[in-house]
Amino acid sequence: MVQLVPQLLRQQLAELAANDERIDGRSRWQSRDVELEVDILYNAEGSAKVVMGDTIVYVGVKFDTAAPYSDRPTSGSLMTGAELRPVAHRKYEPGPPSPESIELGRVVDRGIRESGCMDMESLCIVPGESVWRVMIDLHVLSDGGNIFDACATAAIAALRTATVPAKRFDVGEDFKLELKSTPVMCSFTRVGGRYVYDANEAEELGGDERVHITLGDEGHLHSLQKGLKGVLMPEEFAEILAQAGDKCAELRELIHSKEA
Amino acid sequence: MMGGYGDIKLLNDDGTRLDGRAVDELRPVEIKAGVLPVADGSAWVKHGLNVAVAAVYGPMEAHPRKIQRQDRAVIDVRYNMAPFSTSDRIRPGFNRRSREISKVTAEALESVVLVERFPRSKIRVEIEILAAEAGTRCVGITAASVALADAGIPMRDMIVGVASGKIEDVVVLDLDKAEDNYGQADLPMGILPNTGEIAFLQMDGDLSVEEYNLACEYNYKAASEIHELMKQALLDSASRGDA
Repeated sequence: MVQLVPQLLRQQLAELAANDERIDGRSRWQSRDVELEVDILYNAEGSAKVVMGDTIVYVGVKFDTAAPYSDRPTSGSLMTGAELRPVAHRKYEPGPPSPESIELGRVVDRGIRESGCMDMESLCIVPGESVWRVMIDLHVLSDGGNIFDACATAAIAALRTATVPAKRFDVGEDFKLELKSTPVMCSFTRVGGRYVYDANEAEELGGDERVHITLGDEGHLHSLQKGLKGVLMPEEFAEILAQAGDKCAELRELIHSKEA
Repeated sequence: MMGGYGDIKLLNDDGTRLDGRAVDELRPVEIKAGVLPVADGSAWVKHGLNVAVAAVYGPMEAHPRKIQRQDRAVIDVRYNMAPFSTSDRIRPGFNRRSREISKVTAEALESVVLVERFPRSKIRVEIEILAAEAGTRCVGITAASVALADAGIPMRDMIVGVASGKIEDVVVLDLDKAEDNYGQADLPMGILPNTGEIAFLQMDGDLSVEEYNLACEYNYKAASEIHELMKQALLDSASRGDA
């Protein structure tokens, strides 16, 4: 089953691609419907749920205080963890974090960190002694394809609606976490020989490499990642980058629409 | 385990609880079935501020082979708290508490699932706690039962997870977070609503026999209330046709 099904599926996907079609009837650059909810979990200081087709992810943001790094005594810190737990798909096994889940956490982390959307200096409590540590946890409940975009969207939405629990830590009044921009990721997968946006489960199973692009408010690139086996030409990258601008703008609008 | 009472007041002067509930009143409960598209069965339960999601995969081949049973299916349960589910973030991964809860939950479910129908196979039950406000093991059992039914796994009955406890020397149903932290006893039970059997039983704290009997009575009453919601969730899911 593991060998045979993807082979037959690959054939089917190639035939569809030749007719400029996709297995679920979407056009090449069309996303599935995206649903976003924010501030939904008790105990998380920021939370979001994203549904994209059969994919469902929750993201929670927690804070604690810690000593700053010695080379950046007034700078808070950010940590992003991802868990591909067995709840999310029959293919996931219990155990320590897999390379796939580590990649997911790190790629989402880079897009947020490198965009500079968080003012790390605003997370200083006592210089050289105590700073806020922001911890984002990506929790995939249903992997129906393209969990990267779902997680990245939920992560930035959860951050943008998060409250720093200063009162609970006895360091003043609670305050909204300040974010200066909204970095957004969009991902493309080679299916049937060509790139498509927002691949579903079947397209990932029978597809090849994927490319993740995180763009900031001004359309600047903040993180890129090519994952899985496969190669691409610069012209192909230029084509998906042009699409990424529109896709990211749509998602950014959705994220902003959930902010009070 | 149960914190002592003393300074913390958990009952109002009129005998109601801090959140306004009567002593034998449940927190609000909402249940949905068929919530995870890629799972064979799933359920979402919100009980008070607790949120639990359960997924069922299988029956599938049991591997490694040493876990196979020639005459029945094994039920592989993982109870897991999301890192952001508690007040202080918890490190991901299994700990002693989650292992124990997983074990006794699996044994409870094995007593209702017709495991002899699926020799040498495995049924995976994944319980994810997304928000925790006291009573998560019970909420997890309720969610797991609905997810198993949603997956079409044959069962003698579902199990309803409910708990009663004692605060300020008064027996109350369904402890919330403050009551759990500062109360005197907690009696979580997994009840088969149709037969009245008990598939899951734990307790800690201090209860007299009379107090136990009253707590037990509250649990049975609550179980039949929650059972109605479980059945309705399954009916709703079946009529949506997307389970």
